[in-house]
Amino acid sequence: MSDVSCYLLGEQAIVINATCLPDSKSPINQRLFALKKWLDSSGDFIDVVPAKSSVTAYLKDPRKADAWQHKIQAHWQDLEVAEVKPTHHRIEAFYGKEFGQDFARIADELQLTPKQLIELHSSVDYQVQFIGFLPGFAYLTGLPTALQLPRKSTPITKVPKGSIAIADSYSAIYPSQSPGGWHLIGQTNTTLFDPNSASASLLQPGDIVRFVEKSC
Amino acid sequence: MLEVIKPGPLSTIQDIGRQGLRHLGVSAAGVIDPVALKLSNTLLSNNDDTAAIEVTIGLCEFHFHAPTNFVIAGADLNAALNDEAIYPCWRYSAKAGDKLTFKQNRDGLRAYLVVEGGFTNIDKLLGSYSTDLMAGFGGIGGRALKQGDKLSYTPSTAKSSVGGLQPSYEKLIHFIPGPHLEIISKQTLSVLNDTIWKVNPSSNRMGIRLSGHSNLVHAHNIATQAVHPGVIQLPPSGEPIILLNDCQTTGGYPIIGTIIRADMRHLSQLGAGDCIHLKSTSLTDATKESHRVQAHLNQLRLALKNKEQ
Repeated sequence: MSDVSCYLLGEQAIVINATCLPDSKSPINQRLFALKKWLDSSGDFIDVVPAKSSVTAYLKDPRKADAWQHKIQAHWQDLEVAEVKPTHHRIEAFYGKEFGQDFARIADELQLTPKQLIELHSSVDYQVQFIGFLPGFAYLTGLPTALQLPRKSTPITKVPKGSIAIADSYSAIYPSQSPGGWHLIGQTNTTLFDPNSASASLLQPGDIVRFVEKSC
Repeated sequence: MLEVIKPGPLSTIQDIGRQGLRHLGVSAAGVIDPVALKLSNTLLSNNDDTAAIEVTIGLCEFHFHAPTNFVIAGADLNAALNDEAIYPCWRYSAKAGDKLTFKQNRDGLRAYLVVEGGFTNIDKLLGSYSTDLMAGFGGIGGRALKQGDKLSYTPSTAKSSVGGLQPSYEKLIHFIPGPHLEIISKQTLSVLNDTIWKVNPSSNRMGIRLSGHSNLVHAHNIATQAVHPGVIQLPPSGEPIILLNDCQTTGGYPIIGTIIRADMRHLSQLGAGDCIHLKSTSLTDATKESHRVQAHLNQLRLALKNKEQ
């Protein structure tokens, strides 16, 4: 079971907060993606933005706020979770050396050999839980527990574009050069964000990502 | 063509902003005062999505190389056309060779310059001309204007001068109480309402940072959730941040309020050291205020239509 609460943030944003009950079977995020799909298809919203355990839906017409909050509460349990068909991506990753400046230190800290670190990171399917921080910066859930560690205490000012990073329970790819506090373990040549293309971001909320090791 | 002789501290191309892309991490960008842009475009019979140059503080100089009509709106930054004073929310005509300057702020922080028909050599990306300074796209190469930039426009013949009433900018700003007020303490709402808040110098287009209050210091985080311009975040330091157009799309600080839409324009004019009052209000009153602003714009549109027919 999962439960949901709704409130209005400001005049036109409906926040839908999901909380997992102990006997939960279907993952809460799949239900939130199903909710996003349903809200998007209604045509009543400017934008539907998923986050960690919530979805925020920006109404075109604020007068519909009450009606939509009731509708969401009523419909939440009936959402067709199985109907969400995520896109799968394979991202080529160059690990370690000049591609990931924190790779050696992280392997030490986690007491892993370089090979184990790469295998762990590239052995799982990640899911785009939400996008934030920068255009196209996807928070990828599914990071193996053995690779989880807190962010750096002091962020660095220039993380190279395409850097593959880990922090807390997430992995991510920096779509552009920016400041950042995650641990850098590799790099990809894949373009993550292009404002000239219609879809702009390669990764969309709910998509599945697998890293594939490449060597040069 | 309009040539940038001196860009000042920050001049950028902005329109009404990017909509519908926050789920991809793309900020709204756009003018901080949408009413000033709408008034300008109305006075020039431009399309609503015509972009302006948003000027900050002043210290700018632009040269017109072809005739056009233009409007300046927003703050009074001591503007002059060929050294003769001109005023916000009036339409003027410029000839080739004319010099437009913004000396320095008399009052307020941001002014808008719009030409008839708009600029024609600026980048429209993801549905908007607005410059996204953080991600580096839109406007002119995704950056602030610099000396020597040339902005093209279609020349137009001189029209008579005409002005509209620009509603005043206020320092009493209304907000709707936020979802995490009670997490901080029982007094958070009264502290917000009763304090004189000072604007910190580190404020920018991402957010207005306010002075702190000892009763607001806390140690709470929330699960990262979507945020948007107008949201008031409270970091552990107890110094509230009012998010503006260039803010990120998600955040993990408690949310203690949201500025009402009708009052967002007042935020465009707040600079370092300014003092403001925040006052909680209801959704009903917020809606009324939005309608009032819209009615003002509609009135101006109607009046101009009658005058220029």
